[in-house]
Amino acid sequence: MAASSELALSARGLRMEYRDRSSDTRLVAIETMDLDVGDGEFVSLLGPSGCGKSTFLKIVNGLLKATAGEIRLRRSGTGREDAMVFQDAALFPWYSVLDNVAYGLVCAGVSNADARKRAAPLVELVGLQGFETKYPYQLSGGMQQRANLARALAVDAAILLMDEPFASLDAQTREVMQAELLRIWNAARKTVVFVTHQIEEAVYLSDRVVVMSSRPGRILADIRIELPRPRLLEVKRSAEFTAYAAQIWKLLASQPAAADSGRHG
Amino acid sequence: MVRANERLFYGILGFIVIGLIWEAAGDLGLYRKSLLSTPSLVWTAAVQDFGSGAIWPDLGTSFVEFALGFGAAMVVGIPLGIAIGMFRRVDHFVSLLLFGIYSTPKAAIAPLIILTAGIGLESKVILVFLLAFFSVIVSTVAGVRSVAERHLDIAHSFGASRWLQFRSVILPSTFPFILTGTRIATGRALVGVIVAEELAANQGIGHYIELYGAFLQTSRVMLGIVLLGLFGIILGEGVRRIEKRYEVWRQEIH
Repeated sequence: MAASSELALSARGLRMEYRDRSSDTRLVAIETMDLDVGDGEFVSLLGPSGCGKSTFLKIVNGLLKATAGEIRLRRSGTGREDAMVFQDAALFPWYSVLDNVAYGLVCAGVSNADARKRAAPLVELVGLQGFETKYPYQLSGGMQQRANLARALAVDAAILLMDEPFASLDAQTREVMQAELLRIWNAARKTVVFVTHQIEEAVYLSDRVVVMSSRPGRILADIRIELPRPRLLEVKRSAEFTAYAAQIWKLLASQPAAADSGRHG
Repeated sequence: MVRANERLFYGILGFIVIGLIWEAAGDLGLYRKSLLSTPSLVWTAAVQDFGSGAIWPDLGTSFVEFALGFGAAMVVGIPLGIAIGMFRRVDHFVSLLLFGIYSTPKAAIAPLIILTAGIGLESKVILVFLLAFFSVIVSTVAGVRSVAERHLDIAHSFGASRWLQFRSVILPSTFPFILTGTRIATGRALVGVIVAEELAANQGIGHYIELYGAFLQTSRVMLGIVLLGLFGIILGEGVRRIEKRYEVWRQEIH
């Protein structure tokens, strides 16, 4: 089913539980999850808040340890297997744009000077040329997320993990950034796992939309989006697009509201 | 810029107005000049003592006491504060001890310090250190504790070494807090200098004030006080300006 026979990411029997300190009971964030992502694929994880989709990304990234199950990432040879694009305000306010973008390389042991040199083309790729010496507070939300993306691209990981990166942007900036992401994805040829709670965003961006249930999270459906690429924003007004969105909406609407149980990400 | 100049302008204007009222009240005989002096008499005393150079050794002594005690407070306080903030065991080990010393009025400890360390430089430096040290520690610990979880996540996510985590996240997040602690510490260190000198010393501004107070030379007492005030303002303002530079992103952290 993947574009290439090789898998970039493979999760088997993944389960995540938290201990709730106040009641000393165990909360199940992810029930069991099996997921394969092909090399070069753009896959969205879509679900209500508290369904464990962000938790899944954090487990893949190594920020959290799963209670059970196994994650396999394809090694790309050099550098890290995966790089995270965080939610809003995820830049260091005390670093310039260039130093923020270079940070992942510095973490990998590259010298400061070399890291800056290697970061520069990515600053350009995300359209931030001329802002290298600016600080995050001097940038708009959209520009901050461009820098956030460039930082993840700079380490040249095989997989980009994107955790609701556009959630705090206004509607218009969000659309611009979605189109930008597709342009950059096309240029950088990465595998992307993209977490969102917006149906329309998931359909527009993805090769596959993996719909998750409300807590405890499990996969409800895995829908292949057969819209032609490159996708312009106009595609959002096409009949096929609307049909996909409606299909997913129905799946989610059948879920009980998660408002009272969605405290953990 | 305009704001900063305006602030300075009104600040100085405030001083002048109060000075004029003080002067006028003295000239009108609303109080006895021998008890509270007047700005012009303080000025005369300043011209005399700076002219003859008699005040320089006192100023020099106090400055050295201040610089050594304050410097030691920074050198010990910042690393210790960071260690307390980062490692729970260090915190448990020293917290109660520190809190105990912190809660004891230093004026109560001062005679003991003078008894053991003598009336020379050492006792002054120790007292200045004790007073300044806690402000530095308390602010530094608060800074380390308020490091944003999401900033640490970024470092972890990209696999930063522990040293890099410290250098790239903990230290820059804590830095503005350290500055605040430093600013508060300057004032407290100054108190330490004067308390120690007034208790027992044969040189220093505190001694100068004490000595001329005994001779009822209130113009010189006032001169000492004004010089201390000036020093405090210049130092505090200096740190405050550095703090301001970091204010922009400090707001963002919270």
